[in-house]
This record gives sequence, structure tokens and C-alpha cells, in this order.
Amino acid sequence: MTAIEARALDAAAEHGASVRRPFAWLFAAIVIFLCLVPFLFVIVISFGEKIEGAAWRWAFDATNYRRFFVGADWPATISFLYLQKMWYSLYFAVIAAIVAVLVAFPFAYLITRQSRQAQTLWLIFLLSSLALSEVFIVMGWDILLSNRSGLPMVLRETGVTDWLKAEGYFDTLRAWGLANPRDVRFKTSDFATILTMTYLVFPYAVILLYPGLSRIDPSMVEAARTMGAGPLAVVRTVVLPLVAAPLFGTVLLLFVYLLGVYVAITVFADPAKQTLAVSVYDSVRGATLDAPFGSAQAVILLLTAGGFLGASLWLKQVAERPA
Amino acid sequence: MTGRVVGRGFLGMCALFVLAPIVVVCAAALNGGRTMDFPPTDVTLVRFVEFFVTEEVWVRALTNSVVIAVASALLAVLIAWPIAYALWRRDSPAAKALAALAALPFALPPIVLGVGLGFQWGFLGALGSIWSAVLSHAALFAALPLVTVSIGLQSIDRAHLDAAATMGATDGVIFRTIVLPQTLPYTASGFFFALVLSFNEFIVMFFVSSSAYATVTLQIFNSLRNGFTPTMAVGAITFIVVSVVAFSLVARFGDLPRLMGADPARSS
Amino acid sequence: MPDVTLQALRKDFGSITVVEATDLTFRHGELTALLGPSGCGKTTLLRMIAGLEAPSAGRIRIGTRDITDTPAHVRRFGMVFQSFALFPHMCVRDNIAYSLAIDGAPKAQRRARADELLDLVRLGGYGARRVGELSGGQRQRVAIARALAQSPEVFLLDEPMSALDAKLREEMQVELRMLQQRLGITTIVVTHDQREAMTMADSIVVMSKGRAEQVGPPHEIYHRPRTRFVADFIGKANFIDGVIEGGAVRVGPALIRTTPHAAFIDRSPVTIACRPEATELGAADANGPSGANGLPAEIVFVRDLGPVQEVHLRTSAGMVTVEQAGSARSMALAPGERAFVRFPPEAIRVFPRTVEAAA
Repeated sequence: MTAIEARALDAAAEHGASVRRPFAWLFAAIVIFLCLVPFLFVIVISFGEKIEGAAWRWAFDATNYRRFFVGADWPATISFLYLQKMWYSLYFAVIAAIVAVLVAFPFAYLITRQSRQAQTLWLIFLLSSLALSEVFIVMGWDILLSNRSGLPMVLRETGVTDWLKAEGYFDTLRAWGLANPRDVRFKTSDFATILTMTYLVFPYAVILLYPGLSRIDPSMVEAARTMGAGPLAVVRTVVLPLVAAPLFGTVLLLFVYLLGVYVAITVFADPAKQTLAVSVYDSVRGATLDAPFGSAQAVILLLTAGGFLGASLWLKQVAERPA
Repeated sequence: MTGRVVGRGFLGMCALFVLAPIVVVCAAALNGGRTMDFPPTDVTLVRFVEFFVTEEVWVRALTNSVVIAVASALLAVLIAWPIAYALWRRDSPAAKALAALAALPFALPPIVLGVGLGFQWGFLGALGSIWSAVLSHAALFAALPLVTVSIGLQSIDRAHLDAAATMGATDGVIFRTIVLPQTLPYTASGFFFALVLSFNEFIVMFFVSSSAYATVTLQIFNSLRNGFTPTMAVGAITFIVVSVVAFSLVARFGDLPRLMGADPARSS
Repeated sequence: MPDVTLQALRKDFGSITVVEATDLTFRHGELTALLGPSGCGKTTLLRMIAGLEAPSAGRIRIGTRDITDTPAHVRRFGMVFQSFALFPHMCVRDNIAYSLAIDGAPKAQRRARADELLDLVRLGGYGARRVGELSGGQRQRVAIARALAQSPEVFLLDEPMSALDAKLREEMQVELRMLQQRLGITTIVVTHDQREAMTMADSIVVMSKGRAEQVGPPHEIYHRPRTRFVADFIGKANFIDGVIEGGAVRVGPALIRTTPHAAFIDRSPVTIACRPEATELGAADANGPSGANGLPAEIVFVRDLGPVQEVHLRTSAGMVTVEQAGSARSMALAPGERAFVRFPPEAIRVFPRTVEAAA
């Protein structure tokens, strides 16, 4: 190649790059506009002030945050109402996330040991159920747990309810909020809420655990067997140590997802145990129209979720550090 | 081999657990009356006709669902591709930052995104427009094709690119003739993931549509206080069928286990 | 001292029989190689012996003890896997002492046993290292030590050398053999490398398509192959197709005699095999009527490999390779020259020609 040709090539590359650069900036601007700016809006409006009806105006005022943490009339009275809602968000989310992972772990492990074709079928099944909207899932469980025609009716018709009453377990169920004076009852209860939430994230759990579990070298399991490890010992000494980090990471991710659940809570949870997500909805578009306060709650929710996400990312880095 | 029997039994029970509400909802669509009875009473297929043909509210909602889902999935792919490509070619801090931004809406609780987008479009006067809904879902689901296309790009053998370069191909030609075709299954699966999830999404849609129009799931969500009706269950069946078809297509043209993270080398 | 015997052992996967009903005996204290191309069933056979696959039919015994239904974790045959399968989350010592940990042995005993084995495989002092820090050869030694820690009755290895580079492979073949002889443990090695089998084994089982074609010591397998497959798979051979005629083999105009006489009826299609180092090379005008026992040929390619010289020739019946010592250069060898290849009668093996063999 001659010197002239070389220079021409360089110039062409430069030109190409300089033509591309404005597009790159435009593209970045679009991404920022769509993916970052909405969150900035929420943060900014959370410092705003509500005026009559659904309206509000700009301000720079931490009233909403004060209201969240200690109540609107502080220091006259203290109210932890919103902190309590936050507590219920965490409570439901953490239990459902752990239960989902506990069930999903053996499920995913068993699937990864099957043939490639069987795995594909299971994945289609799981992905389809995962994609199904929360409204439909809640619809289904609503029917299954309905007092009139669902599980309580089945228990009553088959005589199980009478047996429970005779054996004295019925009173325990009443103490747990799972029974009326006459029948077993699941709506509304912690049990139904957690059940539905677990159901919601179970396919996610399997899919998140799938890569880690499928990468376990089967010869490691076989090697353990030839050295005297029965099936339980194999899981305890070989499988679990290898997936401890993905397991914990999955629980965190599911937990973050569950913080935002709305429909399951409104349908299945006790009215006294509503979560922060429900409260955000009510404040912004629902009964108690107060957009700035709703934004403040959303920001708190965001920060909580963001904090746990950050923790899971950090954990992932730790796990991937060479031993 | 009792271990194997226990294993199969466990898988079966879990599958039943996953199927139970789905079966119930699908069966509820067959109800003759207005109540969601299970087993269905007055079994009839009239609900299907109502949903797809006669009841205007549902026909409109379904049209909106389809339009928004297809358009936003396309847009999500268009947003994700440049980022995935930049990440693969250069792995620059800028590319990584953009990827993190694109993934943000999906990783955080969607209710926050919904609230934020509601304010944003409100300010721009685009609240209640179908196009703002398309943009909103594209933002929410861009993370999905981002992940699938990245997996696809990683699977390209660098030797192919070198071979093409030695035969005179420029970057543009290599992209057109090697990179795009080889990643087509991954692009398609990213598209289908975004499509299916957009179909089923309602929280963001609720804040962005601001009662100006409805999608199927949004319509059902709005009727929550009044209770569910069998016609809604037809929507459930439709969506399940769409999901199964979409993911079966992905499995047919791509390697679904590999896409979900399984080791490509192992093929038991 | 008990031998390991397989009786009519068969394995089917669906409608495909991967291992045909096989009867084999593995003598106590000997190293037996299961040798064959990929897909011949040798690994499946080994896994059945280990208990990792359940046979579709047949029995496995140690002496008179039937172990067919005993699960792998009770059989506890030490096994080295192709990928070594070392546990990445444990250090070297914990890997080696794993079987003792499963038994609940106290820490001091586990440590002592692990150190003992580390010395045996010449990795003394490596106990605290992590698996990720080891080289391929070191990992193999740890895998061997781990398998032997439980003092198993049988020692199984599945292509143990395939993850090592060529030079290391040769060193380890010798070392592993010496270790096995020192311990006197019944050992079965699966390999596709015939040189490896010849180096290490007391007895070789040559397998093809799920069947054991021949069993015997290396010397016998090499010099008296019983089927064309074995002759082809072990070492190199010249194959010439012909037809039986009066106890000899007719190849076109030539009549090749064999010692002993070919025991097939006239007009049977056969293939004769002669090793390149036994095939003789002579001058072109050496083809007399009956004493010649060979074919005229044209030199196509000559290779000087130092200790030997390899000459490729074309004959009317196909390509023939002659290997001769570098010092036995008796004539000018250039491509295009005419020559004569002779097959000494006592060096020829005759095999029936089947449809597959003719391919």
C-alpha cells in the first residue's frame, strides 16, 4: 500500500466516525430520555406540594418525606403508618421470595439433568406461565381460593372441615386468620397473599437458577457417587456449595421484583396489611390523590429496591472472584 | 431407583401447581352466566364470540394490545441492538453505561417507572396517546433483546470475522453478511420475549394511558373492583396461546436452553 | 484373589444397542485397556462397571459376589474422569480425602491419608492449593490420588490422558503404569489411543460397534490380529483384496502364498494384511513366476523419518506402504521409479472380505 492510499483510508475512517458520532449522541439522548428521565421526574416531584384536588405545584420541600417517616403532624403526633406499609412490603416480598427459591431449586436441578429436548419443553412451559399477566394469575387463584366455589368449599363438601373442627385444628386456623366461625377461609389472608406471590415469581426463580445449575459438570456428581456419596450427600457436598451464590442472588432479585407487586396484595391481603406499592398507586391515581406524596413513596421504594439490587450485584462480583 | 421416582413425582406436583390457576381460568371462560364458577356452569362458547367479535370494548382493547405489543417490541429491539453491538465491539464505558440505563426500567419495580412516565408524558402533552405507550413499553422491555442479542453476539466465532476481513469485507459488509444472519434467532427471541411481556403488562400501561384507552389486561385491571367475568377469561386463554406459540417458535428456530443460559457444549 | 467378570453384559439406549452381550474377565491386579474408536461402547462398558449406568441385561461379579444391583456409591470403585471432575470449591487435600469425609472419618485421619496419597503421586506439599491453581498434569495426579484414597477394589479410568498435551501424555502413561504395578490394583482404562494401550496394558480388549473384537496381550493383538478391524486399528497395515485359489490368494495376475495356507474355500473373497515393516521392497526386475509373492509397483512418495524410511507405492491392487530401516537403503528411491513389493508368506494375515470391510 502506498502512503497516499494509507492516508486516504485513514481519512475515510475518520469521516465514517465523525458521521457516526452525532447519531451516537442522538441515540444516547433517546435512551436517557426513555430510561432515566422518568425516574428523575419522580424524584423531583417528590419534593413538590399538593394543592386542591389532583393538582400540585413545584416546590422544594421535604414535607412529603417527613410525612413518610414520622407522619404529617410531627412533632405533634407520631405516625408510622407508611413505615408500616413499607414493613409489609418487605415482609410479604421476603417470605415469598424465599419460598419460591426453596421450591424452584430442586425443580430447576431436576430439569437440568434431563435431555435437551425435555428441557426445551419445560422451558416453554415455564416461560409461558411466567409471561402470563398478574391479573390472570390472580383471577385463577381467586377462583381456586374463593369461599363459595373454591378450596374452602371443597374442604367443606368432603368433610375435611368437620374433621378439622373435631380434631381441634380448626381453632388454630382461626387464630391464624385462616377461618371464619363456620368455614375455612383463604381470602383475605397472609397465606393466600404469599401463595399467590410465590406462584408469581416461581417461574422467574427457575429461569434464574437454570444457568448455574445446568453448568454443573455431571462428572462431578458422578465422581462423588463413586466415592461413596449417596444422593443427599451429593447435593449437600457438591451441588449446594456450587450454587450458593446464585441461590442468594436469585432470592434478592425476586425480592426486589416482589416489592412492586400490586394486584395480588389488593385482592388477597388483609386491608390492614397493604403495602407501599398499593399506597403509591392510591396517592398518584387512586383514592388519595396526592402526586408529590405518591412520588416520595415511590422514591423510597426505588431506593430500597436499588439498595438490594446493588447488594446482589456486589455479591455476584464476590462470587466470580477467582477462588 | 426410588430417587428417580421421587424426582419425577416432585416435578409433576410442581407442574400441577403451576397449571392449576391457568386451567381454572381457561375453564372459567366456558361459563354461561356472569359468574366465574369452577367447574363451569352452562357451558358455552359464547364468551369467545363476545370477546373477539361482538363486545366492542374488548375488540378495541385487543386491537390496542396487539398494536402496542408489536410496535414496542420492534422498538425495543431497535434500541437494544446498537447498545449490544457497541458492547460487543468496543466494550467502552459509554456502552456499559447505556446498557445499564436500558436495563434500569426492567430491574426496578415497574410501578415507579409507570408513575414517572405518567408525569413525563403529562408534561409533554402526550399522556393518553398510543405512541407514548409504545415508547413506554419499549423502554421497559429493551433489556430483554439486549440480553438475548448479547448472548447471540458472544456466540459468533471471531474466526469468521477474521476470515471475512482477509477476503476484503469492510465492517459494514461483515455486519450485514455475517453478524446479522448469525444472530437472527437471538434477535427474534428478544422480540418475542418483549412482545409477550408487553401483551401482559398493565401497571405502566395504567399510568401512561390515563383512562384514554385500554388494553386487554388494563381493562381487566380496571374492572378489578367489580369482579372478574368469564369474558375476561377468554383474554387469558388468548394470551396463553400467544405465549406458547411465541416461545415454541423461539425454541424451533433457536436453542432455547442455550438462550436461557445452559452450557452450549453439553448436549445430553 | 477375585477377578472382575462380566457375563452377557448388554446396554441398550432405546432401540440402539450400545454394548452387545459381552463376556469379559479382568484379572486381579492387571491393567486392562478397553480400546476402540469413539462410539464403540467402551465408555458405556466402563460406566456399567462403575455402577453409573444400569445394564439392560447380564451380570457383573467380583469373584463370586454379584454386584450388578449394587449402586455406585456402595460399589465405590475409584474412578478418574476425562475432565478430572475435581471439586473447585475444595482445596486439593479436601478433594483427595472426600471419600473419607463421606464416611465421617476424623480430620487427623483424613489429613494423614491425603498426605500419604499426595506423596504417592509425587505432589507432596500441594495439599492446601486450590484446584484452579493446578496445571493439567497436576490435576490428573490429584484425580488419581482422590480415586485411590478409599482403597477401592477396582480402579477405573476414562480416557485419562486426553486432557494432557502430547509429551506429558507419554510420561504419564509410563508413570501411571508403574504406580498401578506397585499397588497391584485391578485397573481398567478406556482409551482410543492404541499406543497408550500398548504401553500400559497387560491385556487389551479391542472394541468396535459395541462388540469386543479381540482380547489378548499387546504382542498378540499386534502380531496376530483376528479381524480386519483389529489389524487396521492397531498399528498400520497394507490391505490388498483378492480371491482364494488353492490355499493361496489371487490378486490379479499374481498368486500370493501364505504360511499357513489360507483356510478358506476357493473363490472366497478375502483381504490380506501385511505390516509395512514386514513388507519387502525389491528391484523392478525381481518379479519371477512363483517365488516372488508380491506385486509390481511404482514409487509415489518417499519419506525419511530418521530411524526409518517410509516408501509409498502404487500397485495394481491399491496403495502399499513399506517401512524399512534407514540403513537398509539398497536402491535408488525416487518417485516414478519402478519397483517390486514382496509380502513374506509368514507375515501375511488373511481375513474374509465382508461388505463393510470392502468399503
